[in-house]
Amino acid sequence: MGRRVFFLSVLAVLTAVCALPVLSMLYRSVHIDGRFTLSAYSGVLDSGRQWRLMWNSVSLAGSVALATVLAGVPLGVLFGKTEMPFRRLLSAAFVVPLLVPPYVLAVSWADLLGCGGDGALDGFSGCALVHFSVFLPVPMILTMVFLRTVDTRLEEAARLVSGWRGALFGVTLPLILPGILLSGILVFLLSFGEIGVPNYFRYDVFPLESFIQFSAFYNFEAATAAAAPSLAVAVALLGLERVFLRDKTRAPRILYGEGGFTRIHLGRRGGVIAAVCALLAVAVVAAPLSALVAEAGGGPAYAEALERAGGSLLRSFVYASIGGACVAVLGFLVGYIIHAKAVPGWRMADTLTIFAFALPSSVVGIGLISLWNHPWSNLVYATPAIVILGYLAKYAALGSRITLARLRGLPASMEEAARISGAGWFRSMAMIVVPLSARALLAGWLVGYIFSLRDTGITMLVYPPGHETLPVRIFTLMANGSRELISAMCVIMTAAALLPLGVGLALWRVPRVWRRR
Amino acid sequence: MARSARLEEAMKEDVLRLDDVSKSYGGTTVLEGVSLRVGTGERLVALGPSGCGKTTILRLVAGFVAPDSGRILVNGRAVSENGRVLAPPERRGLGMVFQDLALWPHMTVSGNIEFGLKARGTPRSERAKRAADALALVDMSGYGARKPSELSGGQRQRVALARALVLEPALLLMDEPLSSLDSDLKRRLTDEILSLHGKLGFAMVYVTHDRDEAARLASRVVVMERGRVEFDGTPDNAFSGR
Repeated sequence: MGRRVFFLSVLAVLTAVCALPVLSMLYRSVHIDGRFTLSAYSGVLDSGRQWRLMWNSVSLAGSVALATVLAGVPLGVLFGKTEMPFRRLLSAAFVVPLLVPPYVLAVSWADLLGCGGDGALDGFSGCALVHFSVFLPVPMILTMVFLRTVDTRLEEAARLVSGWRGALFGVTLPLILPGILLSGILVFLLSFGEIGVPNYFRYDVFPLESFIQFSAFYNFEAATAAAAPSLAVAVALLGLERVFLRDKTRAPRILYGEGGFTRIHLGRRGGVIAAVCALLAVAVVAAPLSALVAEAGGGPAYAEALERAGGSLLRSFVYASIGGACVAVLGFLVGYIIHAKAVPGWRMADTLTIFAFALPSSVVGIGLISLWNHPWSNLVYATPAIVILGYLAKYAALGSRITLARLRGLPASMEEAARISGAGWFRSMAMIVVPLSARALLAGWLVGYIFSLRDTGITMLVYPPGHETLPVRIFTLMANGSRELISAMCVIMTAAALLPLGVGLALWRVPRVWRRR
Repeated sequence: MARSARLEEAMKEDVLRLDDVSKSYGGTTVLEGVSLRVGTGERLVALGPSGCGKTTILRLVAGFVAPDSGRILVNGRAVSENGRVLAPPERRGLGMVFQDLALWPHMTVSGNIEFGLKARGTPRSERAKRAADALALVDMSGYGARKPSELSGGQRQRVALARALVLEPALLLMDEPLSSLDSDLKRRLTDEILSLHGKLGFAMVYVTHDRDEAARLASRVVVMERGRVEFDGTPDNAFSGR
């Protein structure tokens, strides 16, 4: 198979995975009982309730995006640009909430404040608090990544005349502004599409509406129509990102490893600032998770949790592992297509993955059902394959962006040298590009695994009977399970996410140790 | 008839031939109507400032990009023509030393050198022998098990040369391979390249912006300016009065 045919096939698979479900959903929403009609949409546009839902969704996502950027960027600068003590430990602590399903944090906060989802935290405030702690790592991590893309010489030129404060505010932060804006957009989209936390705190938002229309009333047309505004918001924001930020943020070029990177010396203030950050980490991360562990109590709750959800836990591991592998492989191929401009439609590859990532989970889920719920496609729809397809559609962008960042640091001459030595494109990929991108593939798998493991929105809509995962099991037990049992399950869920991450990071460090030897 | 036969004979002797080759990137013309011939065993040095199109010539010859118009022949066979790559890089039988050397960091020195032989289906025992011979040729025997990161700049240079020469190419392309080295090492390696050329007799296209390097290496010099060939002749003529 020729290079072009191979990559066009990858593009076709990507289109089938990311775009066809949404197109199918839109088609079915206007093609009811064999004729074209907009009746499903008229209710959405006419109803005052729908506008209230939209306001709720937008105000929640907007507030969370603003708050996380305001707090996350300074944290990112402290962890990524200064010599503050314990910065690695602290940054790792802040990332933990992002790795577990958001509703786990909702349960944690409810346990901490002793209101169990039926009081003080209900509505906007509870959702905003939990979303803040869950999505705070996004601006923080992106700030840290983009700080590594700033040429140290530019900062040094500013430091000669203004010191670090002037260099930071006059040069560094303006240079990474596109990355900061991107993080705000990402948080907005993630918060906008989240349904677990609003459901727990009884706050009506648009994505939840389409989920309820489908799962409670099984009104597919109404569910689709309710999903349409979410789709429109995601597309509008994606359009903004495409127009204003694309080439500045698509694949940040990391200029420095730890060696050539200049850090700000904080002096004696470093200890004080670290203590403040530690307090924040305790308040936002450690306290709610500790409350979760405390609420779970001792062994009996865990034993019951494993008895009632052991199968779900195992399935979660298996599906997330397969999902992670699919995200890593497809993401790698898509990243390569974009980097090498391997086929004429290479820009479309990036757009498709980001488009699917930006969509609320309920939209992706309903799209998958619309496309695959037919007698002829039962092999997909009635098996876990539909869940894996959902993970792939939603999270392929993560794999492709990780690959892109790696490939941008890889000189084109590496592959060219293989070609001129007599290797065809496939051998060059297999023997040169893949080994040199091994860590990006591992990172792609790890990120794909974690996001697949924590996924609730898509899985809940598409899982076949008898194939529920742990997040879905916890979610469904929330209505009638005891708080101890739910908390124990949430602790197990958190451990399931963190354990492979620890192993992955240990593996990550192995090549460095070898290199030192 | 006789004229056509003579022309065909002359074409056969050309290891490389560019006929009226042009190349643009996004509206910027990088090469404009360049015609060149490189004969067997000839050492052609393309000299010119940054952005004059000399590296583009190498990339066109290697097959990494296609010319917008014109034709490129390697060993008498058309390999690129009017926007099309007729033969991919791996089927052109060329050797190339890149500006950044492009040694694969995940392979040993021997792994780097044997890679091309493996791609061409050379048996393992012969591969090992030829890699050892190539290392001996560049005075790097005993370094086969090392990783590129464990070598000095000059040693990496030699390994890159060995990797290109182990395939016994009729034409060796060199893209400013010595640009990052200090002047003493540069001079020493230039002498070594000349010595290897004397032993193996390959034709060479060497790109540089350094006049001294060009003067030492070239049997013929092409001076380029804004995508055009401004001068094509002997080093003596190139540097007298310039």
